[in-house]
Amino acid sequence: MSLKLFRRSLWVYHLNSGSCNGCDIEVLNIFTPYHDVERLGIKLVASPRHADVIVFTGPITRETLPKAIRAFFAVPEPKAVVAVGSCACGGGIWYDSYAVIGGIEAFYRILENYYKIRLPLTVYVPGCPPKPEAIIYGIAVLRGVLKQKQRKTYFLEKEVPALTRDFIVNLEKYMKQEGGINIGKK
Amino acid sequence: MKTPRIDIFKEALKTGVVTKKYPFEPVEAPEGFRGKPSIDFEKCIGCEACVNICPPNALSVEIDTKRGIKRVMLFLGRCIFCGRCQDVCPTEAIKLSREFELSSLNSKDLYQIVELKMAKCKICGRYYATVRQILFTAKNVPKDQRPLLLLCDECRSKVSAKHISYARW
Amino acid sequence: MLTSITEILNLLKKYGKVEKIHKDTYVVEISPGKVRELCEILHWKLNGHFSVTVGSDERPVNGYFGVYHVFLLDKQKLSVIVHVKVNPVTLKIPSITPIIPGANWHEREAHDFFGIFFEEHPNLERLILPYDWPEGIHPLRKDVNVRELRYKLLKKETGLVVEKKAEEEYIVPIGPYHPALHEPEYFELYVEGEKIVDARYKGFHVHRGIEKVAEERLTINQVPFIAERICGICGYTHNVAYCQAVENAARIDVPLRAKYIRSILLEIERVHSHLLWFGVLFHLLGFDTGFMMTWLVREKIMDLAEILTGNRKNYGMNLVGGVRRDINEEKIKLSLETLDYVEYKLRKILDKMLKLKEITSRTKEIGLLSREEARKLSVVGPVARASGISTDVRRYHPYAAYSELEFKVPVYDAGDVYSRALVRYDEIFESISMLKQLLKNIPKGDLTAENVKVPEYRKGLGLTEAPRGENVHLVITGRENKVYRWRPRAPSYNNVPSTLVMLKGEKLADAPAIIASIDPCFSCTDHVVVIDVRTNVKQVLRLKEIARGK
Repeated sequence: MSLKLFRRSLWVYHLNSGSCNGCDIEVLNIFTPYHDVERLGIKLVASPRHADVIVFTGPITRETLPKAIRAFFAVPEPKAVVAVGSCACGGGIWYDSYAVIGGIEAFYRILENYYKIRLPLTVYVPGCPPKPEAIIYGIAVLRGVLKQKQRKTYFLEKEVPALTRDFIVNLEKYMKQEGGINIGKK
Repeated sequence: MKTPRIDIFKEALKTGVVTKKYPFEPVEAPEGFRGKPSIDFEKCIGCEACVNICPPNALSVEIDTKRGIKRVMLFLGRCIFCGRCQDVCPTEAIKLSREFELSSLNSKDLYQIVELKMAKCKICGRYYATVRQILFTAKNVPKDQRPLLLLCDECRSKVSAKHISYARW
Repeated sequence: MLTSITEILNLLKKYGKVEKIHKDTYVVEISPGKVRELCEILHWKLNGHFSVTVGSDERPVNGYFGVYHVFLLDKQKLSVIVHVKVNPVTLKIPSITPIIPGANWHEREAHDFFGIFFEEHPNLERLILPYDWPEGIHPLRKDVNVRELRYKLLKKETGLVVEKKAEEEYIVPIGPYHPALHEPEYFELYVEGEKIVDARYKGFHVHRGIEKVAEERLTINQVPFIAERICGICGYTHNVAYCQAVENAARIDVPLRAKYIRSILLEIERVHSHLLWFGVLFHLLGFDTGFMMTWLVREKIMDLAEILTGNRKNYGMNLVGGVRRDINEEKIKLSLETLDYVEYKLRKILDKMLKLKEITSRTKEIGLLSREEARKLSVVGPVARASGISTDVRRYHPYAAYSELEFKVPVYDAGDVYSRALVRYDEIFESISMLKQLLKNIPKGDLTAENVKVPEYRKGLGLTEAPRGENVHLVITGRENKVYRWRPRAPSYNNVPSTLVMLKGEKLADAPAIIASIDPCFSCTDHVVVIDVRTNVKQVLRLKEIARGK
């Protein structure tokens, strides 16, 4: 699903929800000459009322939570969310601190519990901080210009040798026979 | 006095266009860039060295005692890309690549999960370590000591205390 | 006038037990009654400066709470830590804020986190903890399990809180946010027409509970990574300060090559941070050409950092005892080339920009901070240097490889926004010359110390000069490879209160440049609540609007 609703330029509202400044500066950096996303029609706006996309940076501290909720509802529908940085994606290194809500997922859980809303389309941009190019890529994925590369990987070990006394003592012999069990340095 | 404004303008012109054409042309991160960490499923032995060292606990481990499975999970949404896991991995199973395009529309795509089968202790019947970890350790242990690896920590200490007088490990 | 080190030590011995914890750092343990007298001598008579107050819960170790006041004596190259044991029942000690106003926030923080009462403190209100935090729970006490508390709080109170806050914000329709790089802190300015008569600051939106996380969850070698994330701009200085504190506590000798690499990265960080600051200043003054040009040059520095360390920010290069990556010949050559380019480019544009009339007329004699006020509030870094105080940790308490370098400490007397810009302008070129010396003379050797063992309950002080001023980290090592108490103090913590002094009597239109002039590391310099004293009507202005002169 890409954003069919936003055919033209995206206006972005940047909301710092307790970030360390690293991501904020990289977000600002994409508006400077080397990356210049204004050529793609992306513009940083001052008020959430003008925005299509809200950019979260930071793990969402308790102090900023009510303000973040206010700003989130101030963005008119249809909207999209970009979570920039590992903190915004899943809480980062702060995920279990007492002063932190813990990333956009936890934020959505609070919204669901208290306001019963449909969650907006969200792009997660991990990185600490993400490169400016990574943020541009995230927006490109949101727009459907580029395809998402990152996929969940899952691996289940299927067969293991039966661990008998004989097998483990004569490990070298068995490993040769079975063409090698792929463990360790080779 | 001449205003310096015109000099600034000239300097700006001299710089020319520096903008990268990024989303339309690929950009490569420089060598040594700490990008996406990924677990090589074939090499991972489930030793938990990375889980212990990881500062943000992006790597976590769960033990499913019913199925006898150890699950190692890497969640990029917490990863701070420090590369400590790469430093400590004994089998070079986890490595940081130069890839930085990690954005996804679903947070589930940020997970990497490896499930490894565990072995039962020969005495108490409890799951205690993955099969791969036992085999990896066995390679570096003299042959006469290897059977001890088939026991869990507690049973092993009991047994070795009993036999220490004559076995001389 | 006492000058020599032995005289000072004799003086300290009169007050209490003196213990040397590591090179040039002494702890004096004194009784609560004598605190004020000694602090007055250290700060005012000996010309030292108050740096940080650290609270600590030492009940598991010796049955008391502890309060540490750290003073740096620049002339004698000494650090003195005044340690007071606080009775865990009465929890009262005399406040030093009446003598040194700069200690205000520090003592309020200790009150928040440990519940220590500072007698005669003018305003012992909550400073850091979130607004919905229950009374009587002090999170950094060792017997508080905040993890349990956190989930309880989340379940119960979040919903209520949002509604209450929402009502308040109907009066103030736009929240404390602005899209530039700034963070969600805000200043309330009380104005009469265009003139600012008073100012109030509400901050600490970004309090993330870092100290508790480090003390509870992380091990000694994991803390450098969280220390780096205190600040995304000058994080490496925190990283180095922490590592130095632990190395000092454990008496680990860091190899010279590692020290050089640390210095190189610290200076690269300083150049990028100062360029960033220039960009922000020009942006706030409405001179966007300057913003784009400085950030264009800065991008080269960021690329250089990426090549040297593997990440544009949050370098992740340090461990206790050394560094993780080497710098080879190829990289040195590349760095020198980049630095030449940056220096050439900056010489061409930056001083010309500073001569522009639209810059000078809005920065000269604006946001004044006199030398006396600066001493009172104990400000640090470029702000102090612009007010005529020559203080620089690199010069007076040398660390890393700075003792082997030649450099000047720029000092200006005017104390206005323009002189703060000039200090930073000079520092950029000093840094570049330092970098060239470092890169050319880097010695061969190991990257990490061989034996890294950290003993229990040792104290260590780590000092670094961040782009914004001095960083102070006090570490008490703990058992099982953990940190017992770690208190990082960022320079903005001392500098932000000084903006309230600078703002008084200035025009509203100059507020953004004044607030930005201290380079507030963590704060949102944008959002300003304007309260007209005569009509008492609140309206919120974003800094951009103020910058336009609305």
